[in-house]
Amino acid sequence: MTKNKNKSLNNWKDKFTKEVKVDSVEDFFYSTDEEINIKPLYTEADLLDYKFNDISSLPGEWPYTRGPKASMYTNRPWTVRQYAGFSTAEESNKFYKKNLEAGQMGLSVAFDLPTHRGYDSDDELVVGDVGKAGVAIDTVEDMKVLFNEIPLDKMSVSMTMNGAVLPILAAFIVAGEEQGFDKKVLSGTIQNDILKEFMVRNTYIYPPEPSMKIVGDIIEYTAKEMPKFNSISISGYHMQEAGANNVQELAFTLADGMEYVRAALSKGLAVDDFAPRLSFFFAIGTDFFMEIAKLRAARTLWAKIMKDFGAENEKSLTLRTHCQTSGVSLTQKDPYNNIVRTSYEALSAVLGGTQSLHTNSFDEAIALPTEFSSRIARNTQLILQNETGITNTVDPLAGSYFVEKLTEDMCAAAWKIIKEVEELGGMTKAVAAGIPKLKIEESATQKQAKVDSGKRVVVGVNKFKNPNEPKIDVLVIDNEKVREDQIRKMNLVKSNRDSKLLEACLDNITNSAKNNEGNLLALTIEAIRARGTVGEVSKALENAFGRHYATNVGVSGVYGKFFEKDDKFMDIQKKINLFEKEKGRRPRVLIVKMGQDGHDRGAKIVATSFADLGFDIDMGPLFQTSKDVAKDAIENDVHAIGVSTLAAGHKTLVPALMQSLKELDKDNKIIVFVGGVIPEQDYQFLYDNNVSAIFGPGTSILDSAEEVIKLISEKNN
Amino acid sequence: MTDLKNRIIAGERAAIAKAITLVESSREEDIDRSHLLISELIKSPGHAVRVGFSGPPGVGKSTFIESFGSFIIKKNFKLGVLAIDPSSNFTGGSILGDKTRMSEISKNENTFIRSTPSRGSLGGIATGTREAAIILDAAGYDYIFIETVGVGQSEITAANLVDIFTLIVGPGSGDELQGIKKGITEYADIFIVNKHDGDLASQASRTASDYKSAISFYNKDSDDLETQVVLVSSIEGKGMNEVLNAYNNIIETNKKTNQFEIRREQQLAYWLEEEVRNKILLELSNEKGINSLIKSEIQRIISGDTGFYTASKGIIEQFLGKK
Repeated sequence: MTKNKNKSLNNWKDKFTKEVKVDSVEDFFYSTDEEINIKPLYTEADLLDYKFNDISSLPGEWPYTRGPKASMYTNRPWTVRQYAGFSTAEESNKFYKKNLEAGQMGLSVAFDLPTHRGYDSDDELVVGDVGKAGVAIDTVEDMKVLFNEIPLDKMSVSMTMNGAVLPILAAFIVAGEEQGFDKKVLSGTIQNDILKEFMVRNTYIYPPEPSMKIVGDIIEYTAKEMPKFNSISISGYHMQEAGANNVQELAFTLADGMEYVRAALSKGLAVDDFAPRLSFFFAIGTDFFMEIAKLRAARTLWAKIMKDFGAENEKSLTLRTHCQTSGVSLTQKDPYNNIVRTSYEALSAVLGGTQSLHTNSFDEAIALPTEFSSRIARNTQLILQNETGITNTVDPLAGSYFVEKLTEDMCAAAWKIIKEVEELGGMTKAVAAGIPKLKIEESATQKQAKVDSGKRVVVGVNKFKNPNEPKIDVLVIDNEKVREDQIRKMNLVKSNRDSKLLEACLDNITNSAKNNEGNLLALTIEAIRARGTVGEVSKALENAFGRHYATNVGVSGVYGKFFEKDDKFMDIQKKINLFEKEKGRRPRVLIVKMGQDGHDRGAKIVATSFADLGFDIDMGPLFQTSKDVAKDAIENDVHAIGVSTLAAGHKTLVPALMQSLKELDKDNKIIVFVGGVIPEQDYQFLYDNNVSAIFGPGTSILDSAEEVIKLISEKNN
Repeated sequence: MTDLKNRIIAGERAAIAKAITLVESSREEDIDRSHLLISELIKSPGHAVRVGFSGPPGVGKSTFIESFGSFIIKKNFKLGVLAIDPSSNFTGGSILGDKTRMSEISKNENTFIRSTPSRGSLGGIATGTREAAIILDAAGYDYIFIETVGVGQSEITAANLVDIFTLIVGPGSGDELQGIKKGITEYADIFIVNKHDGDLASQASRTASDYKSAISFYNKDSDDLETQVVLVSSIEGKGMNEVLNAYNNIIETNKKTNQFEIRREQQLAYWLEEEVRNKILLELSNEKGINSLIKSEIQRIISGDTGFYTASKGIIEQFLGKK
């Protein structure tokens, strides 16, 4: 740096400190969630001494920071790929066809929770979940209906499936086959990313080790048989949704990727045989520049990682990713603001160079999207592509002092975590030890505390509130009807199949799984062709692998730290201490998830922050039935139960819980409150079923704690 | 009270739960009522075998209980679990997460699983744990498992609550062996070496044989049953039958030698002493002027005006003298 430049920088510093009346510019550094310091000004001096980011590189060129391809959007814009699915295959198929006509370019299938967890629709464990948060698939016949009149040789199909990945991918292949499309022409992506399920999303079925074997088998099979199909979508999305900061999301995702590469190598595949079909999936939240830097850093680091694995094919070195705007950034309060949030997030994703994008509908913090909200979400992308001129230049932010430096900072911070994970022996080991999960929970709790304490502004939630909250329409699924339809269709399939043949196929699966022989996907295809159900195949695998039950311990002390000397916080503590003095014990609350919904970020945050306030908190295991929850509540004599629900099962599960509680103790005084994604239209229904309070997304923990201690005190007087 | 007693004996879940709340309560009137209830329940004892579990944090106590519990409920036994959860935080609240590791047994009709925050009470068990075991016994449970928080020095108190005291250890280093030596073998009836699976399997077997040789070296009084060592894998369910056999053997032998009854009597003596000691300490701390006397004596010790033993003798005499 020349003397002149140094001099002018010093002049600027003088001016700055005088303008804002501080001693040093450093007083204006902003520390992000990732603990990266953001400076008020970046200059040429910030472009020096990079270890990762090569600012002289070009798009489609090592280390691919500027994009996996030379032409990027100038030749073809990103794929508008909206994630959707609900109710029955018939309904979802209609919805897909309508969307494709309206400008959507790729399909992305959302399955319901029973399908994710490998249960058929008639399983009593899943009564509240069938067809709710996605489409219910029991047999290949459902899959055929789902893609009816959709040209599978041309349309790329992305499927979010991890737990029951074998029967679902097999059903997709057989559906294609029976509709006249050979598996060789099928294009798309299966998520197949089990490690992050153990970390955050919780729709696993089997323990980590056999689950990794399944991943390996799928990579092996698709590498040989399905050249146009992405065998895995290594996903950071759900980590950010669960509260991870961007560095954690980036680092854990790439570390997961390394583990999958190793799983495939252990199958005897050469790295360039499968690596071109590895794809990624990131979340794009509201931290605009950080998200752009994250995508640039992801490509940079992945190229380095793959080179270290000995990859030579350029396609193995380049990270291609799908992105989705953040669901957790959406608010129930003043929901039209979500359209604006999603737009900025979409812009971030595109400036970061994503290959495809899902934009959330504004009502997703409240319910499943309607036709109206889906159209706006889709048009958010179509306007970006067609009206803003953003596709005319590749990587338009390159050379920005700030963006380049932030890219380098992200690389360095993520690389540090990746090295730590590698020292632990890789991600499977780190996940088994529960380390990433705890780190993410800690970050999630910090984020929540920042909002609740007002240190972070969320418009319409903790500042600039709308005095006239708008009422919005929501999509309602008749869960009972879907379930009956599914069971009827499944029974029809069952009555028309060769059960001897099927039994042999299922036995083959169990034996192969037990003896670690053969390819499980190949064998599953046989069973699905013989009209085995998703539940039957999953059970055959379970017979060999067992089912995985996660432990569920939270962090503590993280939330309370943000509220030292906060009046409201101390006031609630005082009320709790008073309660203990009068009643001989602390107010005790059971926090539960019911049904197959594994999204437990909210439940975890409530548990840890309530404990910090002085409650005794019982954490229930995941995937409980209403009966399990009632038994737990009665045996531990809790004062209240907090039900966290994000998958639309509340109308079935909550009344069932009330009934189960009554059966165990007809005079019980247990207060039930509900939190999560609940449309306002359902509030009265829940109140009529004796729910005492409902807390939607964006409710401050302090407000809910205050209400809960008030309700408990009243009830126990 | 008779109503509550009858409902407990009838095995009514909600009544058992309310009674445990009562014996855990710190409210004066609850304490009186709980004494009344317990003295009633003691008149109708069941036949439960009480088993204690201790061991360092992270060794897999809850996971073992899940695995072994599943094994014995399949044999149609009724199982009560009292889990003392260590996780109290600075504000006094706690997260009771032990049950998340017991999802299978907690669903079962034939179990009763209760978590209690330790509240930092000594001995790794909570106020009311002894009484809670009496309640579950009266309610007809066959086995009562007591899971302690498993921090050091908790063994004596916990061992005095149970008929069989189990120490769970992981595939560990020789350092841990230093810790067991003679003292612990006097309390532990059985060592369970967990995590005999995956990468740790061979290390676990080595640990088990280390324990075996250490125990034969430090063997306790020759009349007693030698402390047993069993190798298990909670996640794979291996070794559960061996544990049950070992338990049966301990109970049978101790019943034959009258050790079973003698131990229960000794425990009663222990708890009576504890109760008296605690009451005296409580009375002492409630005594007016005692705190300021202690403070001033500390000052006098520091300034050299008196010695430690003289001061303590003086305080005790002053207190006892008033009685």
